[in-house]
Amino acid sequence: MNQFIQFASIGSDLAGTAKDTAQRFGWDAPHFIAQVISFLIVAALLYKFAYKPILTVLDERRHQIAEGLANAEKIKAELAKTEAARLEVLNQANTQANKLIEEARVAAAKVREQETQKAIAAAEQIIAKAHEAAAADQARMLTDLKREVGRLVVQTAAAVTGKILTPEDQKRLAEETTRQLAA
Amino acid sequence: MGAAVHGFAQGTALVPASPEPAQPAAAASAGHGIPQSAQSLGGEGGFVTNSMVVTWVVALGLIVFAQSATRNMKRIPAGAQNFWEWLVESLHDFLEGIIGPELVKKTFWLFATIFIFILATNWFGLIPGVGTIGWGEQGAHGFEVTRPLLRGGNADLNMTSAMSMVFMVFWFIWAIQANGVGGFLGHLFGAKGESTGVLRVLMVIIFFLVGFLEIFSISFRPISLSFRLFGNIYAGENMLDAMSNLVPSLSWLLPVPFYFMELLVGVVQALVFTLLTAVFTMLICMHDEGDGKAHAQH
Repeated sequence: MNQFIQFASIGSDLAGTAKDTAQRFGWDAPHFIAQVISFLIVAALLYKFAYKPILTVLDERRHQIAEGLANAEKIKAELAKTEAARLEVLNQANTQANKLIEEARVAAAKVREQETQKAIAAAEQIIAKAHEAAAADQARMLTDLKREVGRLVVQTAAAVTGKILTPEDQKRLAEETTRQLAA
Repeated sequence: MGAAVHGFAQGTALVPASPEPAQPAAAASAGHGIPQSAQSLGGEGGFVTNSMVVTWVVALGLIVFAQSATRNMKRIPAGAQNFWEWLVESLHDFLEGIIGPELVKKTFWLFATIFIFILATNWFGLIPGVGTIGWGEQGAHGFEVTRPLLRGGNADLNMTSAMSMVFMVFWFIWAIQANGVGGFLGHLFGAKGESTGVLRVLMVIIFFLVGFLEIFSISFRPISLSFRLFGNIYAGENMLDAMSNLVPSLSWLLPVPFYFMELLVGVVQALVFTLLTAVFTMLICMHDEGDGKAHAQH
């Protein structure tokens, strides 16, 4: 108990010393209260004009940044999804185009083959016709020639014999000549 | 204080021709150097002191600056808004790192005001003219200012003790809010740590006695806080004054290095006051388990 009293006494002495020192340095209650009021007014006004609006703005900005980052992530994911879809569509289009090209190539080959066959057939037909025409011409020319040769034989025979051949002789001679030429 | 312009002030300052008004006893007892206490501007019996004037000027400047910076807040800050955002955000992050995100929400306004106001007041006191323009008398070495118009705000014990006491009041409120009355007393007198049996009884007795020491220590916090700040600023002003008067022909040069030091002291003292008050608050509001969470969260 004595220790407590001693302790309290020391505290009281120290407080007294502090008070004396404070008063020596101009501490007094009215000025102290005035400064307390001044400080509280400064704190209140700084809170109103500085801390509150600035911390609110900073908080809003922090939220906006967080939101922006989240949106950016979302956009990035959507972009990746869209890119994948685009690639898929592109691949499908490529496959389809390749298929169409292949089909077109096959069709073109078929058409080409058909047209070639048609052209060959037409050419063969033309050649056959040409052969036929040539054979007919040849036959006609041969007939003409035989006829001419027959006439020449008759003419020559008449000239040589001096005798004018009767139409029956001429006919017989011509036929004989023709037969021999044909042989 | 702006002691370096002492010579300048003698020639051009606001020096009335009338004789010096009566001075407070404390000022007279100071002898050479800066008076120990703030002086009344209205003569004896006047209430407004030169330190109060500086306090009001600084307060007004801060409030007007803050108001003009935040009057029209923009999403992309510029100029004064940018500066205030930087200041407030830096302080907020700094304090949040020390006392935690929950406690800083309710205490930021006080610690930020303490830091900003102390820093602004300290630096304002270094402006040439503060402490060197005022009333005085013709001495052996020319005109001597004995009652300056302005005196550093924190060179007045009333100001520093006012801040300390405001802090202590809110410290007590926050301590009760965080712990409750029982918890608060338990925080002071309760046994810490885990023990059983006789050791537990011994610990209870020891911590009960330690509680009185704790109360004693807490009681002296406002005194130490206010005297530390006052002592540093007052000593700095005295040093600048001494450097200015040491070699009259070099009064423009000698104080210059000390001005830089006082700029630093101004920051350090503002930081020390803020940190100590923040740590005191954190200590009383934290769980004993040291899980890093303040009671204020509940």
